[in-house]
Amino acid sequence: MHGPCTGLFGQCLVPPVDSSFDAAIGFQSRARSGSTSQALLNRASRCSYFFLYDGSKVKGEGDRTREGICYFYPEETPVDKQELLCGQLAGVGRCVSELSSSPVRILRLRRNKYAIRMEGHFFWALGCSADVPIASVCERLDQLIDLFCFYSDSVRQSYQLNSQETLSARWAQYFLHLQPGSSELHRIFSCLRTIDSTNVDPLLLLKAALILQACQRCPLVLAGCILFRGRVVSTQMSPELTMKVMVHESETYAKAQSSSSSLDAAVSSITVFLTTSELQYLQSAPVHKDLSSHSTPHRDAPQKKTRLSRTLSEMASTESDSSDLGPPQSPHKMSFSPCLSESDNSVFSPAPSQSTADPLNPPPQSPEPPFSNGRHSPEAEEEEALDESCYQSFHSNGGGDSQVHHEGGGSAFDERSSLNGGDGDAARDFRVGDSGNEESHDDEDDGAAVGNREGGCGSAQGDQGEDPLPPYGGFENPEESPRIPMMLYLHRVKGLVLALLTDPRFLSDEASMEEVYHSSLASLNGLEAHLGTVPPVPPGAPGAPGPYIFAHFDCIQSTLTTNLSGRPGGAPEHPFVRATSLLHSHFCNTKTLQEAIIRSAGAAVYGTRSVAHETYFQQHGGSLRNSGIPNHQDSAFSLPGKARHRLLKHGVNLL
Amino acid sequence: MKCLLIASESAEVLFYWTDPEFQQNIQQQYGSSQEEGQGLPAFEDSISTLFAPIIISCSTMVDRLGDSYTSFTTENNHIYVLHQFDECLYIAVNGDGEEGEDALRRKIYVMKKMIEVRFGMVTLSSNLLRRELRPQDTEQRARLWKHLQGLLETYSHLRENDQSFLVEAVERLIHPTLCEQCIEFLERRLVQQLNSSAERAGEEVLHAFILVHTKLLAFYSSRNASSLATSDLLALIIMAQNMYPSNVDQDDPGPEVGKFQKPRTRHHHKMFSTSGSGPESFYTPEPSPTDRDSSSSGGLCRRMAEDSLQALEVPPPDPSTPRRVFLEISGKDGLYPMMPHSLYCLPLWPGITLVLLTKIPTSAVALSVYKFLEAFAKLEKCLNGGQEGSAAARGQLAIHDIRSKLDKFIKASQQNCWMILLNSLRSCLYFYFYSLIPWCKNMKTQLCGIYRQCFLIDSGPGDFPQRLSPRLQERAQTMAQEKLMDWKDFLLVKSKRNITMVSYPDFPGLIHFICVDRSTGQMIAPSLSTTERTTSELGKGPVAQFIKNKVWSLVSTTRNFLRKGYSTVTLRDGDFYFCYFLWFENEMGYKLEAGDIPLLPDDSAPIGMLAWDYYSRKLLRYYSKNHQGEVVRCYELLTVHLGVIPTEIILQHCRQLASKLWEPSRNPLL
Repeated sequence: MHGPCTGLFGQCLVPPVDSSFDAAIGFQSRARSGSTSQALLNRASRCSYFFLYDGSKVKGEGDRTREGICYFYPEETPVDKQELLCGQLAGVGRCVSELSSSPVRILRLRRNKYAIRMEGHFFWALGCSADVPIASVCERLDQLIDLFCFYSDSVRQSYQLNSQETLSARWAQYFLHLQPGSSELHRIFSCLRTIDSTNVDPLLLLKAALILQACQRCPLVLAGCILFRGRVVSTQMSPELTMKVMVHESETYAKAQSSSSSLDAAVSSITVFLTTSELQYLQSAPVHKDLSSHSTPHRDAPQKKTRLSRTLSEMASTESDSSDLGPPQSPHKMSFSPCLSESDNSVFSPAPSQSTADPLNPPPQSPEPPFSNGRHSPEAEEEEALDESCYQSFHSNGGGDSQVHHEGGGSAFDERSSLNGGDGDAARDFRVGDSGNEESHDDEDDGAAVGNREGGCGSAQGDQGEDPLPPYGGFENPEESPRIPMMLYLHRVKGLVLALLTDPRFLSDEASMEEVYHSSLASLNGLEAHLGTVPPVPPGAPGAPGPYIFAHFDCIQSTLTTNLSGRPGGAPEHPFVRATSLLHSHFCNTKTLQEAIIRSAGAAVYGTRSVAHETYFQQHGGSLRNSGIPNHQDSAFSLPGKARHRLLKHGVNLL
Repeated sequence: MKCLLIASESAEVLFYWTDPEFQQNIQQQYGSSQEEGQGLPAFEDSISTLFAPIIISCSTMVDRLGDSYTSFTTENNHIYVLHQFDECLYIAVNGDGEEGEDALRRKIYVMKKMIEVRFGMVTLSSNLLRRELRPQDTEQRARLWKHLQGLLETYSHLRENDQSFLVEAVERLIHPTLCEQCIEFLERRLVQQLNSSAERAGEEVLHAFILVHTKLLAFYSSRNASSLATSDLLALIIMAQNMYPSNVDQDDPGPEVGKFQKPRTRHHHKMFSTSGSGPESFYTPEPSPTDRDSSSSGGLCRRMAEDSLQALEVPPPDPSTPRRVFLEISGKDGLYPMMPHSLYCLPLWPGITLVLLTKIPTSAVALSVYKFLEAFAKLEKCLNGGQEGSAAARGQLAIHDIRSKLDKFIKASQQNCWMILLNSLRSCLYFYFYSLIPWCKNMKTQLCGIYRQCFLIDSGPGDFPQRLSPRLQERAQTMAQEKLMDWKDFLLVKSKRNITMVSYPDFPGLIHFICVDRSTGQMIAPSLSTTERTTSELGKGPVAQFIKNKVWSLVSTTRNFLRKGYSTVTLRDGDFYFCYFLWFENEMGYKLEAGDIPLLPDDSAPIGMLAWDYYSRKLLRYYSKNHQGEVVRCYELLTVHLGVIPTEIILQHCRQLASKLWEPSRNPLL
């Protein structure tokens, strides 16, 4: 996570990875304690404003604008100015969206540009200086809102249940977390921060992947990732989910540092909220993903790839890769299939018992609202341990009636989410009772639950799948897609963290927890020891600008490989960064564009992209002086060849 | 879904243009909130009501934050671009995906340019301009807005379909012999005769040129005329096209021309339809006023039919009345913008127009007004900038200077309107420092007012308007018709196939190119015809349309890169390979080293030559800093190749094109 902070502290710190991480954490805890202004002011040059405005609170003539301001960054902004910005932007936004019958997305001023999100009465704006690509700003705003929903569920509900201060602290935390990474390049691509795989023994990455797969033997574990000092070592989740998980990881790290850590503190968990599509993706076994990938084009394909640990796919080049992946994958499948059949069975046979059980106490569903109450207030006091025990005891009381219950509830859960998530890509726009969902529901029934039909309880089951939705998504605002609570389990070994997304029942299932904990503990210790010995910065690499600069962005895993040092060289005025930013947004806008060379007086930069990658390359030296008139001997036009040649040794194949 | 709106700071609509979809959209929205009858005032009301919050928020932001909106984008990709010129806020909207932000901003700047050409220095006073753009008399307002709407539509049409308006440079018809003959004709016969005639009423023809559709056949400037800026020439072409629209996309020249015309004008065209086969006497001067009447009003009718607004019958203006246009002239001591001229557009045949630009007898007054305006502006700046004491001292001197000069000038001019000015000039005999700035402002406004009275107010219906006499205009028209009679059909065809890619057999894989000489504001490009009826090398319809779209998007892409300082761009896009080069040469053709290029903010004036000459005002000025005393020329080349051609070959092609195109001897067609 320390991504945001290295930029800040980078100037004074030499080894970027380690100390900046600590500094980042230090910074964050300071930020949370409130003595933030100086650090925030430094940042103001990047993202100037962020606010959430609730128009429903300002309706009458007498209502003051400030009553609608839910959160405003920078917090020290005079209230007058806050009111001015919120009032004007929200007002203009509403007027324009009425004229065009569509919410405003981008709002530009001469000096700033704002990414806007309008939902119901809520109005978010994230403002950046004019030189940041607007696509990046929009993406960051979406991430920010997503992040909030991931940890707090619906925004409207959160504001009903929690004090504004609590939520403001959360917005501040997420906002800081999402502030641009160590370099401008990270900001442009908004990518995950990963460990530098070139310095790490590939076997360690393989080991990390194996740990994750081992955890998945427990059917309640959906997916996981391993982080080391705030950088991703291996992940089974999509980049978006990984990014969200990392926020909490960095927070617990800060706590682990401040409080004397005991073994208990090493394991923690909190509830998180997944969208139906996220959940469906996590729950579907690899086999199913393969099956579904042809029906949901393109987007699933990449995700499928990330599911196989990213370390593996990254280091292996081509052919050898697939053969390597074979073995680890099959146990993975194996481990999953019993889980599925188990739940299937439970759906089949105890259907009557399930329906009787439901009204009494449908375990995961109905306890949710009280539960989320119970969760948030303790957290407001930042008592995570208490929170956790609270949750555990609650569940062991309420959920411990019978195993059948759990299974039944869980399968209904599975069923529902897969039903709902049936519309793949559009899942974010998912609405309760959408006609599209009905269809996908039918499809799913046909395909997966033929057995149910034969058993004569197919229709009843379908109803159950549909019914539990309203209690979940008990929002006043039908616009928001309902989210499903899941557990985020963290196991920390010093700088190393194993983060698992699990079914809520995981925490009440002592046996599973024990098993996961013990099975992974030794390997985690080993991995931590090994990673800890890796020199943080390869000697000589930074500061020595090679004869060329490159940046290689993996759009699917959202990772960036570059030889441009994160700190001084990554300044926005750097010609390479400027060109890359411009080309990146141009690539985003023009789908058919494959490669480009652009030259200014000072620099010629070559950019190329494929479905999965974007690569940028600049050669230093050489005679840039030229007349600008077309000339085939011009060095700028030899860039593609040079890039192909030079980047091979970085594992980038441009052929 | 397109709209362009000009509003004052108090949200008063000063001008608007919408397409039918946008109008419908507005009416639906307004109808839902308020039932009201339709009609012009009602629509104007609803558009003003709906936009008012945006306009007011805009001025709030300027007042309180010192920043202003430049654009909005909605999730369904409607784009709003806003720009404030003095106290006029321009808002351009697109909701159909056909125009991007850059195109909308360009439209705004072009609109402003057209208003400047129409109103001259009156645009320097927001107060006067506001009254000028929104006349109290509704009929007069309707007529003015209709005219401006027509100009805007003509411009949009040209920008979307004409390569010369895409890159904003003038395209010449490439036929050296004929061109030379025509220039000689314009010089020796036409301009000479007109300027020596007694019926010219004191006017003097400065420039004369012949347009075939939008392409320039011949251009002649008299010896004592300053050169015509590319920006102005392009604006004049838009005006000529607006008066006599040529359906260059539809009509085939020759016998079928009449088919696409309004019935009312048919007889007129029939007369010419058999040209080339009939006896010459058939065509000899018959351009009676009625003929011209019908052709011009035919054009007007078409415009009005296209117009989204409810047609309010506007009487066609007397075709022999010139249009007052305000153009830049470069005197010995610098540039003088917005100097009054009279514009005569004489249609020779449909698609071919003779344009005369004359200097009016009183134009020297405009020069003086401009000088005084400049002096007052300088004085005001000096007063605003400096410390109170020193500024006042410096101001004193300047004021004395201005006052004595102005005093002398007013006495010399002996005109009524100037006497008012004299009063306010004297009113400041006992001035105080704090009252000086308002006084300067007031003087400027008054000068603009006088300028308006001198050059904008039509003389009453009673007296004869100042102009070349109708008989003289007829004679000019007839002479030109006689001259070009034999060439007419050829020219109409030629204008559509000026250069074709067939002429470039040595460039295998080259699909299209555009080469622009920014120093002269001229461009060369193979014609891109996309209609079903004409077949070009690119084939018909969809394929040609596809290439055309690619070229159009390439131009806007390269402008974006140029804005950020990149003067060389190559792109591999789908099956094509695009190149863009910008370079400098000195007068001898020696290539100069590529230097830094100014970086422009996102909301700066669009790169081009029509609304604002980026190349001479910004780029060359910037570049020439390191090349003092040297004439620097700027060239641009865009090419489209098939993607399978090796890059080395493509670059060789580009180099050959770059070196050959402007050397007439080696151009296959020159």
